[in-house]
Amino acid sequence: MIELKHISKWYQVGGKPTFILKDINLTIKEGEFVSIMGPSGSGKSTLLHILGMLDDANEGEYHFMDQPVHSLKEKQRSQIYKQHVGFVFQAYHLIDELTVYENIETPLIYQNVKTNERKAMVADMIDRFNIVGKKDLFPTQLSGGQQQLVGIARALIAKPKLLLADEPTGNLNSKQGEEIMDLFKQLNKEGVTIIQVTHSEKNAGYGSHIINLLDGRIEQGN
Amino acid sequence: MLKNYFKIAFRNLWRHRVFSFINIMGLTVGMTACLLIFLYVRFELSYDTFHPKADRIYRMVTDLKTPSETIHPSGPAWAVGPHLQFDLPEVEAFTRVNYDNLLVRKGDIKFNETGTIWADSAFFSIFNFPLLKGDVRTALVQPFSIVLSETAAKKYFGKQDPMGQTLLVTGEGKPALVTGVMKDMPENTLIKSDVVMSITTITQKFWKGLDDEWGSYGALTYVLLKPGTYAQTLQKKLPAFLEKWNGKEMRSSQMFPTLLLEPLKDVYLKSTRDDSKGNMMNVYVFSIIALFILVIACINFINLTTARASERAKEVGIRKVAGAVRSQLARQFIGESVIICLIAFLLTLGFSSLLLSSFNQLAGKIISTGIFSNISLLFLLLGIALIIGLLAGIYPAFILSAFKPIMVLKGRFATGAKGSILRKSLVITQFAISTALIIGTIIVYSQMKFMRSRDLGFNKDQVLVVETNGDNKRETLQKLVANLPNVKSTTLSGSVPGGGHQGAYSQVENAKGDLQIANLDLYFVDFDYIPLYDIKMAAGRPFDRTYKTDSNNAMILNEAAVKILGYSSPAQAIGRRFKQWGHEGQIIGVIKDFNYHSLQSPIKPLTMRMEWDRFRLLSVKVNPTNVQTTITAIEKLFRTTIPNRPFSYYFMDEFFDRQYRSEERFGRLFLNFAALAIFISCLGLLGLASYSTMQRTREIGIRKVMGASVSNIINLLSKEFLKLVIISFFIAAPVAWYFMNKWLLDFAYRTSISWWIFAAAGTLAVLIALLTISLQAFKAAIANPVKSLRTE
Repeated sequence: MIELKHISKWYQVGGKPTFILKDINLTIKEGEFVSIMGPSGSGKSTLLHILGMLDDANEGEYHFMDQPVHSLKEKQRSQIYKQHVGFVFQAYHLIDELTVYENIETPLIYQNVKTNERKAMVADMIDRFNIVGKKDLFPTQLSGGQQQLVGIARALIAKPKLLLADEPTGNLNSKQGEEIMDLFKQLNKEGVTIIQVTHSEKNAGYGSHIINLLDGRIEQGN
Repeated sequence: MLKNYFKIAFRNLWRHRVFSFINIMGLTVGMTACLLIFLYVRFELSYDTFHPKADRIYRMVTDLKTPSETIHPSGPAWAVGPHLQFDLPEVEAFTRVNYDNLLVRKGDIKFNETGTIWADSAFFSIFNFPLLKGDVRTALVQPFSIVLSETAAKKYFGKQDPMGQTLLVTGEGKPALVTGVMKDMPENTLIKSDVVMSITTITQKFWKGLDDEWGSYGALTYVLLKPGTYAQTLQKKLPAFLEKWNGKEMRSSQMFPTLLLEPLKDVYLKSTRDDSKGNMMNVYVFSIIALFILVIACINFINLTTARASERAKEVGIRKVAGAVRSQLARQFIGESVIICLIAFLLTLGFSSLLLSSFNQLAGKIISTGIFSNISLLFLLLGIALIIGLLAGIYPAFILSAFKPIMVLKGRFATGAKGSILRKSLVITQFAISTALIIGTIIVYSQMKFMRSRDLGFNKDQVLVVETNGDNKRETLQKLVANLPNVKSTTLSGSVPGGGHQGAYSQVENAKGDLQIANLDLYFVDFDYIPLYDIKMAAGRPFDRTYKTDSNNAMILNEAAVKILGYSSPAQAIGRRFKQWGHEGQIIGVIKDFNYHSLQSPIKPLTMRMEWDRFRLLSVKVNPTNVQTTITAIEKLFRTTIPNRPFSYYFMDEFFDRQYRSEERFGRLFLNFAALAIFISCLGLLGLASYSTMQRTREIGIRKVMGASVSNIINLLSKEFLKLVIISFFIAAPVAWYFMNKWLLDFAYRTSISWWIFAAAGTLAVLIALLTISLQAFKAAIANPVKSLRTE
């Protein structure tokens, strides 16, 4: 499903390039549940952003479902992204001005799904996550765990094949964290490919395998 | 999708109430000011455009070249109108319009109808002043026919039908037949009057043969051209026309007139004649001010929206992650700005309706009776509001939608230096405009003060002028008034400073010893006029009762007249010969120049003579104590001496200053709009300052922990904005100087633009800005640093 070849990413600092990612080669098959680990500054998030097409690599090739993402135009890339990728953030990143219902609905709006269809899809998702009673509340009225639940619901609403999560439990207490990880496992069983960035060994253990990053290189993998 | 946008727009507005308020308020105030100015400008441009034949109507004016100068009488010779039709096939119809005061009586009801029109019979067919009663073609044919406006008809006849009734007119009480009732003339015509009399009353009764009089100037003449003819064609034939009828007389009198055609629609704003009351310059000035205010309001909008961009950035990032493309986001933000503009538009309609009547007062005329009376205007405004929303929204939308989600979501986002440079230059623009307007206001006001306080060369204080309309009992009245206890002195005259006067064909001996021909202004005065008005002599003596010849054969000149006659000193003119209006004699004195017109025009050559039957006005110098009692006493004497005429009087100083009323109005409007511009700019500055303080909360906290005092912090926060205000001053000053200098050139006597005006304006702008900013800065400076640091 995903194939990275010689991916590098660097910034110019004082005229010299500082590498964030260096020569990453990686293959992820459909249905996998991968955890990316590593100390702060090792390039985990950057790798995730590149996988999520939110960021470009300076060098290398990225094939997503046999499409050469690195050579696609912005529009085509956004098309692939819209259809196949869902994103979950550590800081939830819900839109404060929208209700739970409307937050979950947002991606569908940008995919031009019709109103009735949208209603049905959002209702299903809300049902599934057991947040029917909260659908008219605003994000600030929810606890962290509940907000992350909404964030995940939003990421899944468009039925993506790939779910990317950047420290999804980082702002949550351990009980809430466990619930979220159980949910991930469940989703993975249903066929969603998941890549998560995490600090915690325990969370990483939920995945099918772990990629360790250090100073922009994969230390040991596969 | 739309619903989602609307929802988020409204919730955003509500959540950031302060910013929304500043945004909407600024736009509303700006749009209201613009709307009012728009109505004003539209009104000024609408003068005499409502006549269906307006495109074919021209006003004929004349330049008169004499051996001494070229003068501009208010209209051509009386004979021009009636002779046009015989010779020139282009002319379909003509009417002369002569203004004069008319005493009108019906039983006990008597009024001095100022500005009564005397017009030819085609008056009502050329102009669109509909008659409610009477026949357009015949109403003004017979001598002593009178047409009243609805208002005037009600005044004299109440509910009775005025048609066919008689009114007594003039001092002699001649009967005049009411032959028509017209709708009240609209506000936007130069020809406005409540009473129209047939001009045949003058040309056939009062002054027979005036229709063939080629040497008497001043009959405003309007011509209606036949459809399809060009004014140019007619214009080219006019010299030959004058030559045919007037050629011999022109050469013998040495007065050479030329006739010029002014399109009726241009007369109000563009005519160079003295009686054009409008001013194209004012229309331009206010249009520019309106544009400026709108620009300032839009700048606020752009600044506040882009300044808050980092807040919206998160939303942009999330939406992009959720799959939004740039155009969708741009549409959303433009939509929001359009919504804000529409809210402001609705508020504008409300505000302008409320303010309209006071604006009418400020403008000195009824420029509009209601915003809602004109549907097409409303749509036009709605369109303008939408365009403003679009324009003001495009830039912020462009900036906001360009955010890279990755930057935003990583929290690495900071408002770019690029945006802040733009914001700074916009703030500079705003304050440059505001400062320029402040400078302008100060200059307008100091010119007005200059005009009011300038030594005019005569004393206008404590002088009361009573209008006798030339009644033959005026000398009796003068004697009685002179005996009143609080009256210091009295004088009879034909004119007073600031009022009308005669212009006379004159021949006066010049330095070479020839009789030089000139058309000179003429004041008829009696012995006490020069001392009462405290006019100074430059040479010779004033009129004197001990000289028998003074009543008929003496003339006094002013210094300007001496100059055009070529004398090097006033004393040289004494004893020289003159001929004027059938009188001849010697120059007995030269008075120093005094401003008998407003200070807009230079002092013209003036002659003074005594001619008892030309006296009309009684000037009374009174004691400043118990003025009211004195007036009552004068009125009592008037009513018993001249019972047939209404008593009317005015104070000389007020009468003279009335000439500056339009400048005063201009000044007041200018002041108001300058204040508005400043207000809106400050709103924007307040928004930016509070935003910038909010953003720097953490920095302020750290600095305070490091030991910064409150004043250090205020200084820190104020400095960056003050710098902008000061830069804007240096842009505004030269621009304002250039334009105000141009404005002042309109005045023959003007104040100088001194440095303190700029200093004052600059200081004012800085102070206002400082006050605005420091309010925010102070709040931030006294906050507890622990709190602000903890939130990080």
